[in-house]
Amino acid sequence: MSIAETSTHPPRKPTLLDRPEQRFPLKLDVEIKKVRDLFRAATRNQWDPCTDIDWSALEGLDIDNTHRHAARMYWSRRAWSEYGAISESPALLIRFCEEKREPDLRYFFTIRTQEESRHAEACYLMAEHLGGYIQQPALVDFQKSVATHGVRKMALDPETPLEAIIAALVCAAEEVAFDVFRHLVEITPNKAANQVLRSIMRDEVRHCGFGWAYLEHRIPRMSRAEIDVCEKAVITMIRDVEMNGYHSSWLAPDSAATRGEIEADRLTWQAGLGATVEELEKPVFVESVRSIRERLAPFGIAIPMFEHPKFDGLV
Amino acid sequence: MPRDFSGEIPVERRFPLHLEPSISTIRDLYDQAKQSRWDPERDIPWEQFDPTRYAPEVLAAAALSWSRKAWTEYGGLPETPALIIRFCLEHERESDPKYFLTVRNTEEAWHLECCHHFAELLGGFVEQPASPAYAALFNQGLHREVLDASRSLDAYVAAHIGIQDGLDLELCRLHRGNASNPVARAILDYLVADKTRHAAFGWFYLETRAAGWNDAERHAIAAEIEHVVRDIELKGLRCVWLSDSTDIAEADRVTSGAGLGAATRAEEEPVLRRYLAEAMAQFAKLGVEAEIG
Repeated sequence: MSIAETSTHPPRKPTLLDRPEQRFPLKLDVEIKKVRDLFRAATRNQWDPCTDIDWSALEGLDIDNTHRHAARMYWSRRAWSEYGAISESPALLIRFCEEKREPDLRYFFTIRTQEESRHAEACYLMAEHLGGYIQQPALVDFQKSVATHGVRKMALDPETPLEAIIAALVCAAEEVAFDVFRHLVEITPNKAANQVLRSIMRDEVRHCGFGWAYLEHRIPRMSRAEIDVCEKAVITMIRDVEMNGYHSSWLAPDSAATRGEIEADRLTWQAGLGATVEELEKPVFVESVRSIRERLAPFGIAIPMFEHPKFDGLV
Repeated sequence: MPRDFSGEIPVERRFPLHLEPSISTIRDLYDQAKQSRWDPERDIPWEQFDPTRYAPEVLAAAALSWSRKAWTEYGGLPETPALIIRFCLEHERESDPKYFLTVRNTEEAWHLECCHHFAELLGGFVEQPASPAYAALFNQGLHREVLDASRSLDAYVAAHIGIQDGLDLELCRLHRGNASNPVARAILDYLVADKTRHAAFGWFYLETRAAGWNDAERHAIAAEIEHVVRDIELKGLRCVWLSDSTDIAEADRVTSGAGLGAATRAEEEPVLRRYLAEAMAQFAKLGVEAEIG
């Protein structure tokens, strides 16, 4: 290979996929009881978006076309976001298998991915019942806000500690998502929209529970340096992803796409169909970050206060 | 031996994102699977298993037979997630296979849990095969192959679902037919029901895709089928009497005789021959001519 070729094609960084499979010895006993119990609870609490939601509650809605279109957009956007987990959650399962992590993780993540597909399907059906699912954002900017936050790549990168991924993705990002879902359930009057949000929230309780149970199991076995990596990952997730509008459009930098998203949220909320607005969500977000900080502290993970132009003081 | 990995996985372009039903046969399977959910903890009559009814050597044989089933079922845990990712990475692909595969993966976990738990009740799960050559058959690294951009997804589905999942179903039906123990029977009933959908998925998918294949794709599919039959199945991954693991073949004979859910070589061989012949005929109808000898 020539020098020029070397410079234009740097050596590929190995991933977990470069390792040959070593299935044996195959250990399947319970190692983290809380996680195995979550798998069993998930098995017992399955639901079907087609049959377990009262879709008739979306018939004959007294809303104008502007509100209807906004709600279609809101639920389509939520479907894109849930879909992201269908394509990313499986990468973590591959990681658990490749690294022969505790068997309970592998069991739980099979059904977690199925739950993500239920969520995408339910959001798609909401959009369809409101006039039609929209296949893509109108603005290119918008695509970034619903695209991957790199979970798949991180999951397959053996140099990114698994515990850091779980801490950031589950104990931070999913915890914020769960708190927002709980808030949406409280304020959404339409029966079908409320059922969808409530059903998703019940699954998300387990998703968050998994993250905390796993950290509780792993932290005592980790070095200070390894815990520091987790701390850095959580800070990055809150400061650069969540506070950049990943879940809450009003936190995103101003742009035409952001303004459109915020407006669609407001119209959907006005129609009682399942979104929220800055003034209602702001205290939920603040409390969520405070709670995450408090729960991570006993693990030796110190989350600082954050600044953001949307808040008067530190969050 | 696991095959080379090119190091390249496809690059995702998420939009336009198709979530509408597209392949109705597969969407129906997905809907059926959601409605057919079951619970290994509650739906298997574990309390009816009485080990005192069996001699120690029978229990030991059955523990090995069910451990082997668990080793096979475990393969789905890394393989199916890789398939889901691959379908998501292929541009503008239908949502139905993605949805269906997420349920399939849950069902694989339930199968694994049942096989492992039953092996434990029978005296203890065996963590690995005694034969290194047989153990190597399980280390195919299928999740790497699925994600490898240099390999055809359709060829993968043809060989690993059309051939392997189909054969798996037929053998499972045979084992179910031999099972008189209520726990073995109940587990195998659920496995047969789920695997019927898993096998159907492969053929429905291939039927949808076949019209778009060119000669190069049909050749790649045939080559993958030949590899899977020659290098994996005829080496004894599922029909263990084709491998050097005589201990497991003997265990299966004893397990089958006791009604605990296995089969002998004499019973499995015609099933293997019949299924491969039927699958080859089906592939021929799709324009794929594989030479499996």
